[in-house]
Amino acid sequence: MIRTVLALWLAMQAASPEVMQHFEAGRKAESERHFDTAAAEFRKVTELDPAFAAGFVSLGQVYMEQRDYAAAVAPLKHALELDPNFAPAHQLLGYALLAQGYAAEAIPHLARVQEQSALGIAEIETGQFIDAIANLQAALQKRPNDPDLLYYLGRASGLLSKQSIDTLQATAPDSPRAHQSMGENYFVLRRMPEAEKEYREALRLRPDVPEVHLELGVVYATSSQWAKAEQEFRAQAKLQPGDAEAAYRFGTALLEQGKVHEARVEFVRADRLMPDMPETLYSLGKTASLEGDTAVAERAWIKLLSIEKQSSLAAQAHFGLAGLYRKLGKAAEAQHEMQEFENLQNTPQPEKQK
Amino acid sequence: MNRLLQIARAAALITLVPAIGVSMLELKQPRGVDFTLQNSPTPQKYLIETMPGGVALLDYNNDGLLDVFLVNGGHVDPKHPENFDRHDPRYWNRLYRQNKDGGFTDVTEQAGLANAGDGNYGMGVAVGDYDNDGYPDLYVTSYGKNILYHNNGDGTFTDVTAKAGVAGGGWSVSAGFFDYDNDGKLDLFVTRYMDWDMQHSKDCGGTFHTYCPPGEFPRTTNILYHNRGDGTFEDVSQRSGIAAKKGHGLGVAFADYDGDGFTDIYVANDGMQQYLFHNNRNGTFTEVALQAGAALNLDGGPLSGMGVVFQDYDNDGKPDVIVTTLPRQTYAVFHNDGSGAFSDRGLQTGVTMLSGATSGWGVGLEDFDNDGQKDLFITQGHVLDNVELIDPSLHYLEPTLLALNHNGRFERTDPGTDALVSGRGAAFGDLNNDGWVDAVTTVLGAHPQFFFNRGGSSHWLTITLRGTRSNRDGLGARVQVNGQTRFATTAGSYASANDKRLHFGLGSAKSAKIEVFWPSGTHQVLNDISADQFLDVREPEKP
Repeated sequence: MIRTVLALWLAMQAASPEVMQHFEAGRKAESERHFDTAAAEFRKVTELDPAFAAGFVSLGQVYMEQRDYAAAVAPLKHALELDPNFAPAHQLLGYALLAQGYAAEAIPHLARVQEQSALGIAEIETGQFIDAIANLQAALQKRPNDPDLLYYLGRASGLLSKQSIDTLQATAPDSPRAHQSMGENYFVLRRMPEAEKEYREALRLRPDVPEVHLELGVVYATSSQWAKAEQEFRAQAKLQPGDAEAAYRFGTALLEQGKVHEARVEFVRADRLMPDMPETLYSLGKTASLEGDTAVAERAWIKLLSIEKQSSLAAQAHFGLAGLYRKLGKAAEAQHEMQEFENLQNTPQPEKQK
Repeated sequence: MNRLLQIARAAALITLVPAIGVSMLELKQPRGVDFTLQNSPTPQKYLIETMPGGVALLDYNNDGLLDVFLVNGGHVDPKHPENFDRHDPRYWNRLYRQNKDGGFTDVTEQAGLANAGDGNYGMGVAVGDYDNDGYPDLYVTSYGKNILYHNNGDGTFTDVTAKAGVAGGGWSVSAGFFDYDNDGKLDLFVTRYMDWDMQHSKDCGGTFHTYCPPGEFPRTTNILYHNRGDGTFEDVSQRSGIAAKKGHGLGVAFADYDGDGFTDIYVANDGMQQYLFHNNRNGTFTEVALQAGAALNLDGGPLSGMGVVFQDYDNDGKPDVIVTTLPRQTYAVFHNDGSGAFSDRGLQTGVTMLSGATSGWGVGLEDFDNDGQKDLFITQGHVLDNVELIDPSLHYLEPTLLALNHNGRFERTDPGTDALVSGRGAAFGDLNNDGWVDAVTTVLGAHPQFFFNRGGSSHWLTITLRGTRSNRDGLGARVQVNGQTRFATTAGSYASANDKRLHFGLGSAKSAKIEVFWPSGTHQVLNDISADQFLDVREPEKP
């Protein structure tokens, strides 16, 4: 890209034959990855014609190919003094500065040439997370699933999230949302008593704050306090009856307490709200099986297996089907399902140590 | 008149139900028991340190009072691994003889049980009268060599391991006496945990330095010894098919789950599927847990099986299995559906709800309130002594679980203490012969806990079997009393041995019908037996 732009630019320049001879020699050496030779030729070009901007850009580029970003900065800046609109110089200088950690200085150069991927990265470094996300998303449209871009987009989003929460904590520390976010932090740290306290305070301040019941229910579920979890998931399901996750978790809390039929009702509701979620299908099959409704159980697990074939849920579905077929006296089908289950379960044993 | 009737009914009800706010059990340290379970934790996190130790309730001198045998770990010195200083009295196993006043006297030394031998780090204990001389013998498991102590009948024991050929080796944990071939002589089953030794130990958990999960070490085989009847045993692990399955065995329990008259074996394996060894009635066993539905939890997940009990919790006459596990799993309840099949009933029984955040070890299904339904007792405590660093929502020290059985559903009740402990072994029996079951548990680095039953007014019956054609203690017999069933065994729980007597709560019934299905095949029926007594039932000498 840079070479193409340089070539077009060169076509419009007037330089002496001697300068052009060194310039071509530099380009040839560079293409052959003889960077020291290329650098020497380009330095000669800049000495012979100090007004020849392309010579400085090419010298900067060779330094960058040698990972000597510090050395690249001076010739690139000089090229821009000669020609402030010289796009290749902006692009390379932006990269050189960013590579050395001078993100703020790099941004104007990268913005000038709309180098969105590098610009997004530089904006992360300078705390401009919203702009960074926009640029990285635009870059991802051109290079879908690029691992680096996906990583930086994730990082920018996470940092933006943290920034928002920090602002929330600083500006409204006693708000329900601040307590909710503190609860989330404690939950991640697995400090359940503190998490519970924060969520409880959020609900005291605003009983209908969305999602807090759900999150508090998860805290209780994690510590196997299923009756309390049920209470919170029930409240969430009442607040947001269209929330499939709330219905699923409500069902799970009921099931853990042995309330099989009530749990099944919630799993059916979750499946209706968000069809074909493997977790819901598995639990639906499980409750149906526990209630002796083998047809529904079989249908749910087979549906799950049409969606997932290698996951732990798939293994569980095979295991469930094996038990179900065994009860129905279908020995061959039971054996087949158990074999499928075992195939997914097999893990190597450690070698004897002695 | 109606009002008087109501008051009378209410009064009757009150006598049957323990007073609200008063625990059924009372934690009480009896006089004379000064044992401390020395597990000797080190920064090196040798895995053995978190696994002892067992407790046995037995009447070693036949004076009618239960005595207590406690297994000790040893001193772990990284500079001298494989030593354990068992000659040092601090690390002795201990036998406490019960006195008539309820106190205990340490008789370890005079009984000949003092030094368990350097190189042996103690784990568990089994009790059985292997030579049918009327005195219970002791088998102590270890990392190192196991020891068979023959009860001489005069208050002393003799180490007969070498002669008997039951030293085992490697890392044994639980053991139990049972008669797998119904020849009238008790055989011996020993679980082994893993192929591990001190030189090849390691710690896990990165910077946290924790004990490693079992999957970090190779599996190993359990051992089955056949009693030849001349004081010696033959290792039949290979021939019987037991050694065909390697595992991470911890707990073991016995019962005849399919009613074919031959005792089967259930092994609680750690971090993998559980094993159910079906007795083929010809001296061999086939591991059938997976096809029987008793290997994995309801979702097909492996269990960190530690303790196990194999008794009938729902009075349908068939033995069920309860396995204790680590947190983030739930204790498994494998209900015996008949025809050789089990189904996980953790959800329906409420046991799922009672577990999930705790680590269960010693476990018993005993009728603590004498209402005719077996209750659940579990001693708990996490494996990792620094688990809070890794997951603050989990705890190394945990409460004891007592859950009463209400028609097949277990509901938590006060166990008599809110003390948090690192519980391991648990044994059950009527320590004070008051007709109400008591419990003793072991605690790492601490004294054992004695849970005395406060009693009540319900009726009970305690049966001692006297085998004639069967083994002398009738182990393996199926005993039915007023619709309840117990399988005669001293094994089960974790690394521990229970009172051999069979205890039945009778509720308001003042008499009982008893049926004994002896291992010999004899079926004995006793009608109109008065409640509230200790009854000896002698096997008819002729079928």
